[in-house]
Amino acid sequence: MDKFIEFEHIVKTFPGQKALDDVSFSIRKGEIHAIIGENGAGKSTLLNILHGVFPATSGEIRIEGKPAKFSNIADAIDFGIAKVHQEIVSIPDMTVAENMFMGKEPGRFGIIDKQKMNADTAELLKRLNCDFRPTDRMGDLSAGQKQMIAIAKALEVNAQVISFDEPTASLSDKEVETLFGIMHELKNAGITILYISHKMNEIFRMCDRSTVLRDGKFIRTIEMDKTTRDEVVQAMVGRDISLFAKRTMPCQKRGSTPVLQVKNLSGGMFKNVSFDLYPGEILGFFGLVGAGRTEVMRAIFGADPRTSGQVFLNGKEIHCKLPNDAIKQGIALISENRKEEGIMPNFNNMDNMALASMEKYMSGFVINSAKKNANAKDKGTQVGLKPNDPEFMTVSLSGGNAQKVILARWMSTDASVMIFDEPTKGIDIGAKSEIYLLMEKMAEKGIAIIMVSSELTEIMGMSDRILVMREGEISGELMKEEFSEERILNYTVEEDV
Amino acid sequence: MNAIYKKYRREWSVLIALFVTIIVFSILEHSYLSTTNIATIITQAVTYGLMGIGMTCVIITGGIDLSVGSVLALVACAGAQMAKAGVPIPLWIILCLGLGFLLGAINGVLVGVMKLQPFVATMGTMQVYRGIGYVVTGGFPVLNVPREYRNVFNFKITSVFTFSVVVFFVFAIIITFVLKKMKIGTYAYAVGGNEDAARLSGVRVERTKVLLYGIGMLGTTLAALVIIGRLGTGDPSTGQGYELDAIAAAAIGGTSMAGGRGNVFGTVIGAVLFSALKVGLVVLGVDTFYQFIVTGLVIIVAAYIEIVQGNMLMKQKK
Repeated sequence: MDKFIEFEHIVKTFPGQKALDDVSFSIRKGEIHAIIGENGAGKSTLLNILHGVFPATSGEIRIEGKPAKFSNIADAIDFGIAKVHQEIVSIPDMTVAENMFMGKEPGRFGIIDKQKMNADTAELLKRLNCDFRPTDRMGDLSAGQKQMIAIAKALEVNAQVISFDEPTASLSDKEVETLFGIMHELKNAGITILYISHKMNEIFRMCDRSTVLRDGKFIRTIEMDKTTRDEVVQAMVGRDISLFAKRTMPCQKRGSTPVLQVKNLSGGMFKNVSFDLYPGEILGFFGLVGAGRTEVMRAIFGADPRTSGQVFLNGKEIHCKLPNDAIKQGIALISENRKEEGIMPNFNNMDNMALASMEKYMSGFVINSAKKNANAKDKGTQVGLKPNDPEFMTVSLSGGNAQKVILARWMSTDASVMIFDEPTKGIDIGAKSEIYLLMEKMAEKGIAIIMVSSELTEIMGMSDRILVMREGEISGELMKEEFSEERILNYTVEEDV
Repeated sequence: MNAIYKKYRREWSVLIALFVTIIVFSILEHSYLSTTNIATIITQAVTYGLMGIGMTCVIITGGIDLSVGSVLALVACAGAQMAKAGVPIPLWIILCLGLGFLLGAINGVLVGVMKLQPFVATMGTMQVYRGIGYVVTGGFPVLNVPREYRNVFNFKITSVFTFSVVVFFVFAIIITFVLKKMKIGTYAYAVGGNEDAARLSGVRVERTKVLLYGIGMLGTTLAALVIIGRLGTGDPSTGQGYELDAIAAAAIGGTSMAGGRGNVFGTVIGAVLFSALKVGLVVLGVDTFYQFIVTGLVIIVAAYIEIVQGNMLMKQKK
């Protein structure tokens, strides 16, 4: 079956914008087909049309030759088309099983058959190699575990087409392996898989073909075994990024005095963390999800309390009890949760950028809007914001642009230590490379940078030095010349002694 | 001009609703626009407005203050007693405002520092403040406030306006300035928009809440001083249910109960609209029971328009 799902001249317009422009391609039965492109290329819009979230403005989708038009998600599921969501919406105070069967609880007369529900859930979790129970509280699970539940949900409906929208964004490496195992299993069972991801190595490893979208237009469908990474990237961005995630100006300042010294820092999820950070270097922090990297950074920044240990900035001991203290000392933290801990949904770009550095725009006790506006324009240009409009609402921007606004916010504080927590999470390759370049420019100016990342390519490409954390402790340090995937990964797992 | 229209889309629609209300009522009943009625509309709008502006400050931070009705009574009683005791007028004003700020700030401490839910915390202080009002007065109104104190906030400018209208507008301008032009205002919107992000961006969330609850209560305090001026008494049982009128003024004016959105201009128009509506229903001779139903429906419709307009805005951006 060469044309199992056919997209025929799909157009989708939103007021003032054409999200999809005459997209036509087809998907084979039983293949894993990636849909790739930069943020805003129209991937999610296309999936939403397939799943009946909203209709196409014109054009049609045919499945096995028959027009398939669903008026809502449930319709599509009945037809056998299910979706694994990027971010699962769950009710933290209910159990895993209750969340999984929400809206379709087994039982009669409104009485839920809890036993059946838990048993069915247990079976699915076992299939996914999950180490938590159906009766666990949803809120106690990690982001990765929640993602596994989203996958279980899609399996549960016995779909013949399953689409995955960035499924690995919050998974640990082990969970990713399990997921890929499942995907192979599904493929062997003849299930067709649509796969949206920003991670090149996953696409090359898992997918048979990929369709590239750019600015809402179909670019081409590529056979994955007949292409190269560069070719795919070039198709996506329409320009060549050969310098992708490569430190082009390595730090020369080793041996100078450290700007930040952390000594035996302990807190809720980590203990005895010690390291030095030098001006102009990019220090990578690698580890599995839950290794305690974010928690260390939050403690240094004053967002979480610490139980013992010391932090020195330029040789002087500091103890930040609030983020406000840290910002005054010249430390910045770019959180990994852009939406929850970064963007002000009710602010425009100008105010979002100004929030952490309000002192700079004050004339006496009055805010000088002109200064704020000038700062926004200036920083917007520096980070390459599109559109560089201070009045534009930040929530309406794509992931990459929103991240640039957050970056601009912290650049405005003139910090000497910048902590980036997963700086390129969920953003497209074009924006990623721009953010890497910005980090390099900052380092060149002598700003000391910590980059927490779970992406090996990113951490190996960008860091001057890597610290690996495991179960709340630093388990290894690697100099640039010692970098290798194997060595880094070895430090993340318990050694057999 | 177009940009101003877009920015204040919500406020314009409330303004239009206000004109429609006035026109409809004056067609239905010609005496609606009589001097007496206009005076009544303005008098009520000043109370709703002063309290509503304060409420707007609190709601912007993502909170709510149910204790304002009780504070109105408590400040009115304390103010009346101080006036009768002959406290010098400038000091009298400062003490009253200080008391109001303190009572509001206590709410702010409960919510911001002790992390109580705003609804529960201020429901508690609503009872406590009301009780204190009864205790200090023994449950009786404080009568016969001297004329010179009454005139401070309520001397007649014309047959329709008293000085309270000026107080109302000056307060509206000051709070607009605080919210739009001062750091604390930006922080208030930030706390209401995304509290975690605000904290991580260096906003002192606790301090912001305490200050905003305090500043907000200044509106209720001024309303209390206007009431002393108008009635010459401080009644410990006054102001019951006024918290709902204050919330209504803010809600009609487009303040989002979720926090982070809203402004004084909207609330001012909301207060006038609410007052024009209530007086209009009385003038038309609508049965009291039906008045409740109509005012309730208006609040619901206003809230719905807020949602519809919000959605339209979101769609346009996509």
